[in-house]
Amino acid sequence: MTTHEQTSPVVEVRNLTSGYDDKQILYDVSMTAPYHQITAILGSSGCGKTTLLKHLIRLYRPWSGSIELFGNEIITMDEPEFNAQLLKVGVLFQNGALLNSITVAENVAIPLSQHTQLPKNIINRLVKMKLRLVNLENAADLLPSELSGGMRKRAALARAIALDPPLLFCDEPSAGLDPAKAESLDRLILSLRSELGITVVVVSHAVPSILRIADRVVFMDDGRILFTGTLHEARTAELQAVDEFFAKGISQE
Amino acid sequence: MTALKYTDNAIFLQGEILIDSVGPLISALEGFLRTHRDSELTIDLSGVPRIDSAGVALLDETLERAQAKGISVQYIHAREVVTKTLAAFSTKGLGTSAPPASISFFERAGGAAYGAARDLLDLLYLVADTLYFAAVGLVRRTGIRKGEFINQSILIGMNAFPIVALIAFLIGFILALQSAAQLRQFGASIFVADLVSISMTREMGPIMTAIVFAGRSGSSIASEIATMVVTEETDALKSMALNPVRYIVVPKFYAITLTMPLLTVLSMLIGIFGAMVIGYTYLDIGIAPFYRQVVDALVFRDIITGLVKSIVFAWIIVITGAYYGFRVKGGAEGVGKATTAAVVASVFLVILADSILGLIFYFGRGFKF
Repeated sequence: MTTHEQTSPVVEVRNLTSGYDDKQILYDVSMTAPYHQITAILGSSGCGKTTLLKHLIRLYRPWSGSIELFGNEIITMDEPEFNAQLLKVGVLFQNGALLNSITVAENVAIPLSQHTQLPKNIINRLVKMKLRLVNLENAADLLPSELSGGMRKRAALARAIALDPPLLFCDEPSAGLDPAKAESLDRLILSLRSELGITVVVVSHAVPSILRIADRVVFMDDGRILFTGTLHEARTAELQAVDEFFAKGISQE
Repeated sequence: MTALKYTDNAIFLQGEILIDSVGPLISALEGFLRTHRDSELTIDLSGVPRIDSAGVALLDETLERAQAKGISVQYIHAREVVTKTLAAFSTKGLGTSAPPASISFFERAGGAAYGAARDLLDLLYLVADTLYFAAVGLVRRTGIRKGEFINQSILIGMNAFPIVALIAFLIGFILALQSAAQLRQFGASIFVADLVSISMTREMGPIMTAIVFAGRSGSSIASEIATMVVTEETDALKSMALNPVRYIVVPKFYAITLTMPLLTVLSMLIGIFGAMVIGYTYLDIGIAPFYRQVVDALVFRDIITGLVKSIVFAWIIVITGAYYGFRVKGGAEGVGKATTAAVVASVFLVILADSILGLIFYFGRGFKF
């Protein structure tokens, strides 16, 4: 581990306040995500968790506050420097966000062909390797429209880890998946953490999934952070909103 | 049908109060409230066997209206099923929403101006990014979608050839036909060749080709980009440190810059050929004399101005398509709106640019090149 990993979190957000036009969405949000753990940002729909995630990859600019990735403040970074940081981050979007006009293999190859000088045969091998990790070896030459929702997410996950990023963001990974598929995707995410040491930040409102994978939780409600701590601490903290969230989520299983 | 009986301070309702019967009942109750002098009123519901949500809404509305007039209303003797329905559908306290405060003309004008300024700024950023990355991309291939230039050249350019050719032929044909009717009267049929060749090279070739491209490529560029925004594909590109303008727009920019002038030249030639057909069949002008007349009439300048126009039009089409694509709001409906807006704006801007360029070329006509 580098010294930064030993002492600091990989993601650190301080007093983030943001919104668009006149509408405020995030109110003084502060959170951290430590290395090599799975941090879940939870809350009901509309609480601002996906907005927070998009701020972390600078798709939105906040009104005030600071965001640090790997110890570096990213809001004021200039573009080339930030692009270099992005190469260390993989993002799994809610619906996969694969490019629909090219095959799965070509999608996974994009980061490799654009950001490395590796020769084609090595890239092809890497693509097959990532697809095998997500159990999609046989789907390499299919178009995204020919895949099921679950397969699309796995293909997008393969693309997200193409460059072996140490940090992975997932936006509602189990959304739209049946319980069996959601569980196998969760197991994939867990294995990424345990076998490859990837730090994962997951945005979710699916309680069964969260209970399976989260080490730490950040609980949001109406744009504010209500609780941060380990999963166990969250379940024993006796905060009404948190308890209700978990209770309702489990009863829907 | 609901019947209404009343005494001085009580109304007796008889019959089911359902959605069909609410209408007449409204006016009856209203009339009653207007003339009622007392500060109390009871409405007896013992004769009502059934009520639905419309009926509940009516009763609640009546109660609140009466309260506003200072009359306190009580519903009495409601049967059990009616009481349950009243409780389930109660709209008490919900109130009807007040009409939104009207925005003054100046506020609207100011808002529109501010919005337009922001849109113009976004457009300038897009133009700057596109031209910059297109220029840089000539020397460095990073960040541009591989293989896309050839692909787009085929889609945007080659596939447009049949329709561009057909339209050009027909335009040349029609121009010749219409002008022949007039020129014949003066024995000046041969000048059809001059007329068509100068019109095709200076105006009709570039404009018609541009309009075909605006309809085909302008709409496809806008809809492709808009769909990518809606499905978060552009977000995904940004998250992979790829600039969407560089990755998606620049290949299209190259493709249209290459193919539209080529197709414009082809359309000029085909249009003149169409006129030649009329000349040969209708005006008895031989192929060789027609050809000589065309060559004499045209100067280098005519073709150059046509080509310059076609490049400017090409850039207008690709940037307008990209602009509306990136600003899409909403889902499928937004994509449709973006596509329509792109085509309409492209056609308008092309014709506007044509006028401006026409003026520039006209007033600069002393400039020899």
